[in-house]
Amino acid sequence: MTGPNDDGERERHDAAFDASDELAAYALDAVDPAERDAVERALAESARLRDETDAYAVTAAQLAELTPPVAPPADLRARLMASIDTTPQVTPDAATSSAATSTSDVPEARETPEAARGAATSDARDGAAPPDAPGERGPAHAQARRRWFQRPGALVAVAAAAVILLVGAVVGIGWPGPNGWGAQLQMTAIAEAPDAQTTTHEAEGGGEVTLVSSASKGQSVVVAEGLPDLGDDQTYELWYIDDAGAESAGTFNASGGETWRILDGSFTPGVAVGVTVEPAGGSPQPTTEPIVVIAT
Amino acid sequence: MLERVADGGGELAAPEPGSTADDLLARVGGGDREAFGALYDATSARIFGLVRRLLVDPAQAEEVTQDVYLEIWQTAPRFDPARGNALAWMFTLAHRRAVDRIRSVQAARDRDLRIGARDLEVPVDLVAEAAETRIEHERVKGALGDLSELQRECVVLAYYGGMSQSEIAARLGVPLGTVKTRLRDGMIRLRTALGVTT
Repeated sequence: MTGPNDDGERERHDAAFDASDELAAYALDAVDPAERDAVERALAESARLRDETDAYAVTAAQLAELTPPVAPPADLRARLMASIDTTPQVTPDAATSSAATSTSDVPEARETPEAARGAATSDARDGAAPPDAPGERGPAHAQARRRWFQRPGALVAVAAAAVILLVGAVVGIGWPGPNGWGAQLQMTAIAEAPDAQTTTHEAEGGGEVTLVSSASKGQSVVVAEGLPDLGDDQTYELWYIDDAGAESAGTFNASGGETWRILDGSFTPGVAVGVTVEPAGGSPQPTTEPIVVIAT
Repeated sequence: MLERVADGGGELAAPEPGSTADDLLARVGGGDREAFGALYDATSARIFGLVRRLLVDPAQAEEVTQDVYLEIWQTAPRFDPARGNALAWMFTLAHRRAVDRIRSVQAARDRDLRIGARDLEVPVDLVAEAAETRIEHERVKGALGDLSELQRECVVLAYYGGMSQSEIAARLGVPLGTVKTRLRDGMIRLRTALGVTT
């Protein structure tokens, strides 16, 4: 999250040093070392300049699409595979990817849940220093990190909050599963889709259900907050509902906090999403009145 | 918390099993060697192609590519897919490392000769491509086509030639400020054409 001083800092900075004139060149790696240092000092103090640089960096990276692929020498792969065995990985930023490492067999990359929770609420930029950084990484890493490792915001807020909460709080979550890392990737893809729509409704019996849907992705995700715990005998079940009826989109449990899941099946605009309470294991068709229905 | 994890089936993970660079990079972040190998297989020709374009010398290009992949391995745990796609991140690392290598190893004179010997055309990919790559290719090419000729010249010299803005100014015989303006205006236009949002 950006500091409260960003606005003031930024104004002063723009007046003293035209960093914004250098950002395009910086993203193209067309600055000399002194200019690079000056730009990076300015970036450290201005969220606006960082955002602008991020956009330039992503733009520049797309230029690589035009360079013809060339197969590297065949032995490079074997050398790399041998090298990584002796190359430790950095610890993840807790706010972004601690969940991914819970399945890891790399002890260095593991974090305690306490650390993850604590860091998740702190400025993501603070956690960036890699303790076991190898010799040669530096500027390249710093630049790429700016967008991919440090940047706060840019997500649909509700989805981001859900991911960060879960990543911070859940330990032992792996790649598969409805809240696994794979699902988190999908969720952020849905939330970041240009056509993502977010709708929040209160649920009967307490709590809120938010639907984030993307027609272009053909997927939707529900974020449930404060739904009562149903115990072992019952479960919440999701439904895609259209003129043809209701189709099950998976089940989930809640325990009063926040939880989310990507709906099974494909989302098409105009479909309604409903949540019912069903016997444990779910039902092929709804057996109770929905606690919430969200039209799209 | 959601519970349906115990059956451990990969089929729950994603409709498209972990084959894209983004999926693979996420697994690499978890220390998955096999995923690293698969990520390398899926992307190394792209990365090496970019590095080769910048460095020309195959031995140096290979060294830099090796450094890039080691950095990918090391820093993958911090990669945040919410902030951009994996391939763009990898290209950014590769470009910066290749340019650093150009600046540290090659004398300016050599570089001028090298770039002078090369045409300024936007590189054209002659090899067969997957349809998806081809579409992406056309999109970027079209976006570059939106730039003025002067803007495009500066952007191409910087990105594909690995030249600094001062070097570009010297080469074109225009003031540095002019190059900065062209790069900035060109990148703004490119950003818009490619639909990159801030």
